[in-house]
Amino acid sequence: MHFINELKTHIIEELNLEELTPDEMDIDAPLFGNEGLGLDSIDVLELILILEKYYGLKVGTPEEGKQIFRSVRTIADYITANQPQ
Amino acid sequence: MKETVYITGASSINPLSLQEPDYKLYITDPAARRRMSRAVKMGVTAALQCLSGAGEMPGAIITATGLGCLSDTEKFLRNLIENKEELLNPTPFIQSTFNTVGSQIAMLTKNRAYNNTYVHRGISFENALLDGMMMLAGGEAENVLVGSYEELTATSFDIQSRLGFFRKGGKSGEGAQFFLLSAKEKSPCILRDLAFAFRPAPDELPEKTAAFLLKNKLLKTDIDMLISGDGGNEEEFTCYDKIEKNFPETPVVKYKHLTGDYQTVSSFALWLGVQIMGKADSPKRILIYNHFRNINHTFILLENSLHHTI
Repeated sequence: MHFINELKTHIIEELNLEELTPDEMDIDAPLFGNEGLGLDSIDVLELILILEKYYGLKVGTPEEGKQIFRSVRTIADYITANQPQ
Repeated sequence: MKETVYITGASSINPLSLQEPDYKLYITDPAARRRMSRAVKMGVTAALQCLSGAGEMPGAIITATGLGCLSDTEKFLRNLIENKEELLNPTPFIQSTFNTVGSQIAMLTKNRAYNNTYVHRGISFENALLDGMMMLAGGEAENVLVGSYEELTATSFDIQSRLGFFRKGGKSGEGAQFFLLSAKEKSPCILRDLAFAFRPAPDELPEKTAAFLLKNKLLKTDIDMLISGDGGNEEEFTCYDKIEKNFPETPVVKYKHLTGDYQTVSSFALWLGVQIMGKADSPKRILIYNHFRNINHTFILLENSLHHTI
């Protein structure tokens, strides 16, 4: 849970979602589109930077990115599965 | 310029208020608001406040700033150093550009008209004002939104301090002021003319003032109030003193002890002039004189429309 909260905090800080707290962020809500957080293409760049800066992970292809950045949970799963030990 | 320019709207966000406006009330879209730094929120809100009473959409949006969106610039540069020029966040870079405020105003008000930003250090605001007046004079627009924004950050305060700007009584400041200029709609305050002088010797100032007034068919005695940019900085005092002594019988209003000094502070002087012109017993003519660090000197002439003679 600590890892998820840390990830949410990075997302809030880097994407300037200052009106949101980690607890208010639904882990399964869609990050893009009209439902959920409603992020945009600039936010994708910020999310890519979060993965690279804090977790040492590089997103390979745009297709891969679409899968990874669906929700906080999918990002967390990607980090767990790929983070260097 | 033959066209009479009326100032039909004026707004200000300045340090005199005890607290800043609730920006959420003006920039209601959280998605638009979340990337805005304080400078952008200040500038956009001042513009929206100015437009709130306006019936028509402005035919131009002209913005001025000396240093632009400083906090985003600082954030971007800090990232550049800390991350060794890699992994740079796009948001501070995008938002650090000088025309962020002008473009945000356009997007929020869905205005596709002429949009320009002037970044000319101590005469940024006057250049924006001149552009607006020329657009009205040339018939390119019937009303234009002109304004400025400047923010003070901890880093800029520190740099100004290290450069010695506060040693002799100088004060730092910030603020955002916007104006709606109209050639069609009337108001008590006419923006009659403005003039620039680059690095004049203090002794040349009375002559420059006389020439500016003569161009407007006026004498020194026709000026009923002087708004002086003297803010107590000894290094800048000589020129203000020359001008003030040139108008010995004229009441002098000063404001920089309240607002501090910044590149576009003359927009506050104009806002103050507009407020004074709106009073029942307002003076006929107000002359605003300002200079920034003794380099760029400017004169702005206001006239009450009830006493307008041309």
